[in-house]
Order: sequence, then C-alpha cells, then structure tokens
Amino acid sequence: MTGNHDRGSRRRPLLVLSIAAGLAAGAGCGGQDDTRPATWNYISTAIIQPGCATANCHSLIAQRSGVRLDQVSTGWDSLVTRNFVIPGDPAASSLMSLLQGEGTRRMPPDYPLASDDIDLISRWIMGGANK
Amino acid sequence: MRRARIALRRGSVFGAGVFGLLLLSFSAGSAQAYPQFQFSSGTQRCAQCHYSPAGFGLLTAWGRDEAADTISAKGGDGGFLHGLVTLPSALALGGDIRYAAIENAVGGTRSPEFATFPMQAELYARAALGETGFSLYVAGGIRGITRDVNGSFASHLTSVISREHYAMWKPSASGPYARVGRFYAPYGLRLAEHVYFVRRYSGFNLYEETYNASGGYLAENWEVHVTAFTPPPKSFPDSLQSVGMRASGGAAYGELRFASTALLGVQSRVAINSEQRLIQGGVVGKLWLDAAKVLAMGELDLQRRDVTLAAKTGYNQSITYLGLNFFPVKGLMAAVVYERFQEDLRVISTARSAFDIEVSVFPYAHMEVMLFGRYQYSGSGAADGDTGSLGMLQLHYYL
Repeated sequence: MTGNHDRGSRRRPLLVLSIAAGLAAGAGCGGQDDTRPATWNYISTAIIQPGCATANCHSLIAQRSGVRLDQVSTGWDSLVTRNFVIPGDPAASSLMSLLQGEGTRRMPPDYPLASDDIDLISRWIMGGANK
Repeated sequence: MRRARIALRRGSVFGAGVFGLLLLSFSAGSAQAYPQFQFSSGTQRCAQCHYSPAGFGLLTAWGRDEAADTISAKGGDGGFLHGLVTLPSALALGGDIRYAAIENAVGGTRSPEFATFPMQAELYARAALGETGFSLYVAGGIRGITRDVNGSFASHLTSVISREHYAMWKPSASGPYARVGRFYAPYGLRLAEHVYFVRRYSGFNLYEETYNASGGYLAENWEVHVTAFTPPPKSFPDSLQSVGMRASGGAAYGELRFASTALLGVQSRVAINSEQRLIQGGVVGKLWLDAAKVLAMGELDLQRRDVTLAAKTGYNQSITYLGLNFFPVKGLMAAVVYERFQEDLRVISTARSAFDIEVSVFPYAHMEVMLFGRYQYSGSGAADGDTGSLGMLQLHYYL
C-alpha cells in the first residue's frame, strides 16, 4: 500500500507536466499565412467585440464616447457613419490611429492588437469598409 | 466553533470604519471566488465555503471560519463585521470592497498609463425560507470604471448594478439543487480576476452574467451543473443588464475528484444570438501536491464561432490557462500562470499569450493585499505586434 502510494506520488509531477504539455501544444497550432476574410462580419466578431465591447468600454451599458461595438450591425454604424472609418482610406481613418496609438490613447487600452489584426482591418477599410 | 474572538474589539472598529468607506465608494467590479483554495485549504467542494453551489459570492459560516483560521496569517474573526453583529441563522450578509492601482503599457504615444480606481464594492444578502431548503440571494453595488471620464473620483462611479440575484432550492449540503435568476452559469475554473483569458474570451467577462435556470447534484467526489441561460431583455434597466455576446443557450459542467487532491472537469456550452453561434467545449484540471504545497490548475477550451448573418463565416479558437499556485506559509499565496488565447487557429500570429505573476497576502481575517503582474505578446513575440504589460496593486476587504 505504501509502495503504491509512493509510486503514485512520483507519477504526479509527470502527470502534471504531461497535461501541461498537452494543453500548451493543443493551443499553439496555426499557420503563418493570413487566409482570414477582410470582412466586417469576421473583424467584428473575432477582433472588435472581444477586445472593445467589454463591460465599461463600448458595450451596451457603457457606450463610451457614444460608440457601441457589441454587435456586428451597431458596430459598423458606430465606426462608419460616425467617420471613425473612411471607406477606401485607412490613413485618414481615425480608427487606425486609435489601434496604433498614434497621438492618442491606444485602443484597446489593455492590450495591443496583433499586427496582422491591424493589417486585416486596414485591408477591410481599403476595400471599401463594407458592412 | 473554531472562530477566534481575540481580535474582536479591534476588528469591530476597523470593520465599522471600512463599512463607512464602503458606503462612500460602491462599485461592482471583480468577482469573488478563489478556486485556488479547493484542495489547498482542505476543502473539497466550492459549495462548502460559498452559498452558491459552484462557488462565487457570499461565504458560508464554514467559509468565513476557513478564511480566518486556515487562510489568514494572523487569524481573527471571519464572521460578518468581525463578529460585531450576530445575525439570525436564516440571514447572511456580506460585502466586498476592492481598490486598485494599475500601470498599464501597450505601446503608442500615450503609454504607459497609471490609474487608481474603485474596483469592487458590493453588498450581499441571503435569506433562507425556514427549513424548506429555499433561499433568496441578492448582490448589488455601483458600477465602477477603470478609466474615468473627466478626472474626478465621482466619474469612476456610474450606475447601480446587481450582478447576481436568484432563488434557490438546496435542501442540504450535498444532493440535488435548483436555482433560477441571474448569475454566471457554472463553467471553467471560475477565477476571481476577469482579466484571465479563460474568463474574458469564453463568455464570462465582467458583467456577462445571464438569467438562468440551473440545476445539478453535489456529491462527495463529484458534482454536475446544467444551465439554460438567456440575456436580460433590452427593456431592463442598466442595473440589470449584461454585456458581451448577450446570447441564449445552455452550459454543462461536471467534475470528478480523486482522493481530495485532484479533479478532472469537463464542460460544454452553446451560445446563440441573432448574429452568431458559439460552441464551446473544454477540460479543467487541478492537482494538489501536499508535500510541496503547490496546486497546479489548468483549463483548455476549444471554441467554434460561426457568424450566421447573410455573409457567413466561421472559425475556431482556443483558450489555455496553466497555473502553479504556491502556498509557502500561512497567509501567502503566489501563482505563476501561462495563458494563451488563439483568436483564429488558422493564423498563429493572432495568438495572444501572457505570463502572469499573482501574489496575495492575507494578513488578518477580512483582508487581502494582491499584486498582479502580466507580460503579454502576440503570435511569437515582438515581430507580430507590440508587447504589453500590466502591474496592479489591489487592496481587498470583505465584511
């Protein structure tokens, strides 16, 4: 009985390491080519809503600066009809300055977006910023 | 009764003072659950220390004793207001107040930023309806925000909010239960800090509590929880609203415990709104190494997100949490954590990774000082985007 207990104790660190390796490996897959669609449907649900529509920022109950980004439809209205996005012109779109923190507080304020995410949003604007 | 009464008088005065501060600075911000104490404090189930069957919120008498005698360095009286007030057995009251200071760096011309803000101030009440097993629970505070609007303290405080309110039937500590009302569906590790990716990106970020009909069974070595949920109607006031995806759906969580030292949990959740569908599944694990006083915790979630509007698109995501929690001496808990959120599994540069250090000191009953540090990056590092860091000091007091 004691021997079994000892063997079990010795195995536990190995078990932890095995689980940890499995979790890390399972989460780390993915390729290098950006095959994602430069569409608002994708950008809103994958990038904008999780990053910007949080509790006290651009959510239903907060709507900081009058901007609501928690839905595909209202998010597009907030950004395009209020000229945060100038279709066809990323350089003139204040959304790009906000995402890059150029002369203003960076958005989102709690983590910098990946370069590929910013590039994808730029490509969407360049393509006309369609809904 | 294991409660120590020695510090009663000193604690009562302090408690009354903090109660006054609480009235001045309500804000409902962070949740209050410490899944790190499962196994490490000698308790098996979250419901031993919390009235909620899956943890969170108001502490039971057992939980208050544990917080004072087992967790705090110098002990004290863990009772409501340090034992100053003896409540009727059918009534339980409590509250949490947290004040925080952060330094946050994300790159750009106006980084880093420094802010102090009221993070949480909530009161809880739970009333048992005789010996029927039925009870009513409500939590409420004022919504606080990190970044003020006009530089004043008052602008950190916005509307009143009640994140939890429910009716529950739970006739005994173990066995079946049913619960109806607003709360988080039992799912995942249920960490206190909403900045952890397994909360933020899985539908359990701040104020994402839904209205639920939930039930389950608590046994000595296993438990299961099943929940149907829906968001508050849009006609509800802000004080009862939730944010995030605002979806309807269902969630299930079950865990099996082994020898009071380990657990394996499995979970699944489906959330649907008018624009997208999120299908989630994952595993949760904990292992307590008593000789080393270390608790290993992990969670892995895989998510399929489909946009169901006319121009359809879909993609897969993953969320990982791996943490080692050290309990070197009584009153001290330190953790090192690795997190990863893969925004789209097709593109590795969209991964967001973070290394965290969390240190909590519990000097006396009712008190906690917490330090949190995070370094985060996209993809494989600086080549895939600016890196970021967060430092936070948090002062926590509970009634």
